[in-house]
Amino acid sequence: MLLGDVSILVIEDVNAMRAQIKMLLKNFGFRKVAVCEDAAQASAILDTESFQLVLCDWHLGTVSGLEFLQYVRTHASHKDLGFIMVTAECTRDRVLDAIKSGVDDYLVKPLTPGQIQDKVYGVLLKRQVL
Amino acid sequence: MMIAPNHEQKIEDFIAELAGFAQIAESTLSRIENDMDGNKGLFSIFEERMIAIRGTALQLSLPHIARIAGIGEEIAAKGAVAPARSQIRKCVGSLWDALTTVKYLLEHYSEQTGEEQEILMHRLEATLKAMGGARSAVSADEIEVLLRNRN
Repeated sequence: MLLGDVSILVIEDVNAMRAQIKMLLKNFGFRKVAVCEDAAQASAILDTESFQLVLCDWHLGTVSGLEFLQYVRTHASHKDLGFIMVTAECTRDRVLDAIKSGVDDYLVKPLTPGQIQDKVYGVLLKRQVL
Repeated sequence: MMIAPNHEQKIEDFIAELAGFAQIAESTLSRIENDMDGNKGLFSIFEERMIAIRGTALQLSLPHIARIAGIGEEIAAKGAVAPARSQIRKCVGSLWDALTTVKYLLEHYSEQTGEEQEILMHRLEATLKAMGGARSAVSADEIEVLLRNRN
């Protein structure tokens, strides 16, 4: 798949952060970047559009990023999606929970453009999307 | 830092959003204070808002705000599992101090912490230590290792 054809979904409850991540991904050459602020919206979007990668914040309100990851991994149509957790949450137990639940990679805030680029490309290559 | 320093408006947008998080944390803390036994579970909401403030403050290169939010996050985590009312009360008192400082620092985000805030932070750090200290955290490098060794 060509870079410009890859679809990425960003789930982040901080408006300004969401806009920043979207802008960076666009600058990297990803043309199809959708954003939303919680798991309910994300679930609805995943049911109607096709994505190759999800960048998801941990704390999203009612349903956490971890619970959303678990939903994705048990859903027949979504289970092979690349999934990167984007968060300031780095207590050992929670990181281990995310790994056990099938997260592909983990981005710890503060984010840098280089770090995001490395992780996004890494997961897309691992998942043989690129 | 992800945001160019000359994007003052973007920083203002972030700060305005963080102030909204602080507002949620404040109303949550009031509810816990009004019913310490019944609303102990709300410490998790406070903790989540502090994590959001910490993460965004780190993104904005505002480490002094991230530091106090991090202390608030850890004390809230202690409060959620505190077995005794006296401990919950101690957590609530400390969190009011932490939140007041976070709100002040958000309003004056370009300033560094003054002596008064430093004293308060040391006191809160001592309180956290007396409660058993912060939870075990892992660095980005350690996460890499955990991810590599997952199987």
